Amino acid sequence: MSQTQTLSAVQEAVVGALGVSEDEASPDATLMDDLGAESIDLLDILFRIERSTGVKIQASDLSEYIQGGISDDEFSDENEIISEKGLDQLKKVMPQIDADEQRGNLHAENVIKLFTVQNLADMVDERAGSAAS
Amino acid sequence: MERLVSENAGILDVLFTTQEQDYCRGKRRVHDHLAGRFAAKEAVLKALGTGIAQRMLWTDVEIVPGSRGRPEVCLHGEVAAWAEKRGLADVDVSLAHSAGMAVAQALAVWDREAEDSRSGRERSVAVSPD
Repeated sequence: MSQTQTLSAVQEAVVGALGVSEDEASPDATLMDDLGAESIDLLDILFRIERSTGVKIQASDLSEYIQGGISDDEFSDENEIISEKGLDQLKKVMPQIDADEQRGNLHAENVIKLFTVQNLADMVDERAGSAAS
Repeated sequence: MERLVSENAGILDVLFTTQEQDYCRGKRRVHDHLAGRFAAKEAVLKALGTGIAQRMLWTDVEIVPGSRGRPEVCLHGEVAAWAEKRGLADVDVSLAHSAGMAVAQALAVWDREAEDSRSGRERSVAVSPD
């Protein structure tokens, strides 16, 4: 499956689960803040993606993918503000994030709110590649 | 919840333990009860200050009927380990469902030595059974 096909499958899942238009489910739309997805909607989206692509992703995989194996203590400081190491990781999986703008301001629990349709498509691609290799 | 369950085979096992499923199947409004339990799980996770974070499963938070029908929380797996590490003393939950809406509220009580910011954290969550 090409990256374009994966993005289309993710957008189709988002439209079906959230009842938003195809235009609204644009690659740069954030799932939670822009499209109003809640955790139960994320589950619906992930199940739809599994049906259409065969790639199985659990809800808990999202945070694991975002943190990239970095421990909670390294990913954010004692006030749960994303650390420099955490920002470096976010640049890899959520490249749209402006690290300079978020430095010292981004709370760990708000990271998922910045996760976009494209970020999810990239994750599906990564998982599909891992499964194939 | 009804749509989610009907459209996604296997999702019940992802969200609910066998005991939770058996309890809800014994009720007339099955999906209302499932939605109430899901809302309770979310409320508990928010009260703990985590989401469904790394390696955590929805079934790690189990809502079981306690004495006189009062719901009680049993933590398992990664969620139990996470809560123990941070000094969770107790977690209480209440839930209700009516007129197509389920709501739940959870209160986490932390040991005195736990971080001040987590003391008495309380969260409410509403989930539609439809």
